[in-house]
Amino acid sequence: MTRNFSAWPIYALLGILSAPLAIMYLFLVIDTFTNAPPGSLIPNEFTFHHWRFLWDPTVTGDVWGPTLTTFLFATSMVVIVLAISSTAGYAISRLNLPFRRFFLSGIMVMHAFPSVTLIIGVFLVLQYAGLYNTLIGVILVKASLMLPFGVWIMKGFYDQVPWEIEMAGVQDGASRFTVWRRLILPQVTPGLLSLGIFAFIDGWSEFMLPRILAPSANFQVLSTYLNVVSDPNSTTYNFNLFKSVGLYYTLPILVLFVVFQNRLMNIFGGGTKG
Amino acid sequence: MRTRTCLLGLAFVSPALALLFAFFLMPVVLTTVFAFTNMSTSTGITGGSHVITGNLLRDLGNAGVDDDIVAALSEGSFSVTPETLAAAAEAGVEPRFLGEIESSLMGQSFEDARSFESALKALPSRPTRIRDIKLATEPFERSILNTRYSSRAAMETAIASMVPDAPVDTVSAIAEASYTGWRWIDGGNFQTLLDRPETIRIVLNTVFYVAATLAFNVFVGLFLAITTFYLPKTGAGFFSVLWLLPRITPVVLYAVMWKWFTWDNGFLYVIAEQLGLPAFNYMKGSVPTAWATIILVNGFVGASFGMILFSGALRAIPVQQLWASEVDGASRWQQIRRIILPQLRWPILFVTSYQTLSLLSSYEQIWLTTNGGPGSTTTVWALEAFNTALNNYTGNLEYGMGAAMALILVAVGLILSILYLRMFRFDELVNKPRIEF
Repeated sequence: MTRNFSAWPIYALLGILSAPLAIMYLFLVIDTFTNAPPGSLIPNEFTFHHWRFLWDPTVTGDVWGPTLTTFLFATSMVVIVLAISSTAGYAISRLNLPFRRFFLSGIMVMHAFPSVTLIIGVFLVLQYAGLYNTLIGVILVKASLMLPFGVWIMKGFYDQVPWEIEMAGVQDGASRFTVWRRLILPQVTPGLLSLGIFAFIDGWSEFMLPRILAPSANFQVLSTYLNVVSDPNSTTYNFNLFKSVGLYYTLPILVLFVVFQNRLMNIFGGGTKG
Repeated sequence: MRTRTCLLGLAFVSPALALLFAFFLMPVVLTTVFAFTNMSTSTGITGGSHVITGNLLRDLGNAGVDDDIVAALSEGSFSVTPETLAAAAEAGVEPRFLGEIESSLMGQSFEDARSFESALKALPSRPTRIRDIKLATEPFERSILNTRYSSRAAMETAIASMVPDAPVDTVSAIAEASYTGWRWIDGGNFQTLLDRPETIRIVLNTVFYVAATLAFNVFVGLFLAITTFYLPKTGAGFFSVLWLLPRITPVVLYAVMWKWFTWDNGFLYVIAEQLGLPAFNYMKGSVPTAWATIILVNGFVGASFGMILFSGALRAIPVQQLWASEVDGASRWQQIRRIILPQLRWPILFVTSYQTLSLLSSYEQIWLTTNGGPGSTTTVWALEAFNTALNNYTGNLEYGMGAAMALILVAVGLILSILYLRMFRFDELVNKPRIEF
C-alpha cells in the first residue's frame, strides 16, 4: 500500500490514548528499584530496599510459602484442564457419541455464559461437599470453570487434523484409542502447549476463587497475599513495596507471555476476561 | 464395534461431564432453588431445629396468640415422670425421698414451683431444710423455652404437654414459627427487591456501567485495530503489546497499579498538585472521578479483546480491495468508512454482544478498586449480589437474597448466550464424524 497519509498524528493520538498504560507499567518497574522525594515522581535514589521482602519475612510475611502454593495451584490446573480437555475435545470432535450435538451446544453455552454469576451456587456446592476452605476445592472449581473453554479450544485443534491420518491408523488395525494416543495427540501438541500455558497463567492470576471459597484456610496464594499486603488504607502504605511484591508475583507470567506470545495470541481471541 | 467406540467416547467425556455437572449444573440448580428461600448465616445452610426463644414468644404475643398460652409457654412446669426421676437421681436427690415421690406423685404435674414444693413437703422423708427441697424440685422442672427439638412433631408434642387446652392450629402455628432453619418464602426475595428503593439505583448504575464501558471497549478496540493495521510493523507491535499487558496482568496487581495512579500522593495527585488543579483521591473522592476510574479500569482490559478480534478480521479483508480503492484515489478515511467498517460488521456485533454479557456479570475490578463507593454510587448488580451473599461485613450473609439477585443474572446470561449461539451460526461448527466406528 502507498503511504498516502502521515503517520505522526496517529502516533500522537495513540500515544495520548495509551499514556495511562505506558505510565503505569513504566513506573511499575522503575518504582521497585528507586526512591523519589515526597511530592515528586522523579526518582533520585537507586535501592534494593523494596525487594527486601524476598529475604526478610518481617516486612510482609513469608512470601515463599504462597509462591509454592500458587505454583502447585497453577500446575494442578494445567494437569486437570489438559487431561480432561484433550479427551473430551477428541470425543466431541471425532467420536460417535449419543447426544453429541447436545453436548457440544452445552459446552458452547457454558463457554459464553459468565461463570462468575455462579459463585454463590459454587459456594453452596463446596459447603455441602465439605470442600469449602480447602485448596483441592478451589482447584477443582477453577479447573471446571475453565473446562468449556479448554474443551472448545481442543475441539478446534482436533478438527484441523486430517481424517486421513486416523483412517490410515484404523486401516492398519489400530484401535481408536491407540490412534488417538499415538497418531492424533502428537498432531495437536501446539494446541496442548497453548492451552497448558493459558491454564497456567489463568491459575497463577486467579484471585476471586481462593479469596471467596477459602477465606480462612491455612494456605495463601500470591494473589490473596498481594491483596492483603497492598492495602493503601494501612497507615504505613508504600506503593513502592506493593509494586515490588506485585512485580515479583507477575514476573513468571510476563516471561511466559513474552516467550509464547504468538501462540497465546490465537487463544486470547477466545479469552474469558471481559 | 459401534458400541465399543461409543464406550470410548463416553469414557472420554465422562470426566468432563462429572466436573461440569458438579460445578456448572449444580450451582445453577442451587442458585435457582435457594433464590426462593430465606437462607442466611443465621439459618444455616443445612436444616435447622425447632426452638422457642424469648424473642419468638414476644413476637407470638404481638401476632395475636392468646396471652395465656404465651405465659404458659414462658413458664416452666413440674412433672413427675420416669425421665425426670432419673434426672433427679443423677442430681443427687436422696434415694428414699425419690422413692416416695415416685410412689405417691408419679404421673402428676404442677403448674408452678410453689404447688410442687407444698406437695413435696407433705411427704414423710422430705429434707428438713427448705433449700434442699427447692434444690430437689429443679430436676423435675420441664421448660420448653430454649430447648431444641429436632423435629416439628416433637415440638408440637412438647407444646401440647405444656398447654394441653391450646387449639391444634395454634400449636402447629407456634411449632412452625419456632423453626430455625431456612424456609421457602416463594417470591419473597424478589418482592423485597422490587420494594427496595436502592434497586432502581443499582439497575441504573449497571446500565450506565455496561453501556459506557462497552462503548469505550468497542471504539478504542476499533481505533487500535485500524491504526495498528496501517502503521509500520515496529510501531504497531509496540502498541498492541502495550494494550495486551492489562489482559495478562493479574487483576490484583492491576488494581494496585490503578490505585497508585489515582490515590492520594499517587501519580495524578502529584501532577494535579503541581498544576494547581484539585488534588484528591480520585478513585474514592468524588462520584464522577470514581465512575471514570472504573470505566477506564475495565475499558483498558476490555479494549484489547476488540483489538485482537478486529485485527484478525482486518487481515482477512482481501488486500486487493484496498489497492483498487487507492488506484481510484480513495483517502484512508474513505477506505475505512467504505471498505473496512462494512466488513467488520460481524466482528463488531460479536464483540458487542459477548462483552455485554461479561460486563453485566463482572465485578472483580470494581470490587478491588472503588468497591462500589463512594457510598454505593458505583455499585452494580453483580457486585451487590456478591456482597449480599458472600462479602457482608455485618456478618449475616444472606445467601437466599444473593441467590435471587444472581438468578436474574444467570437467567439473563443463559438467554443471551443461547441467543448468541443462534446468531453466530452454530450449525456450521458441528461436523459429523467421518469414521463410523
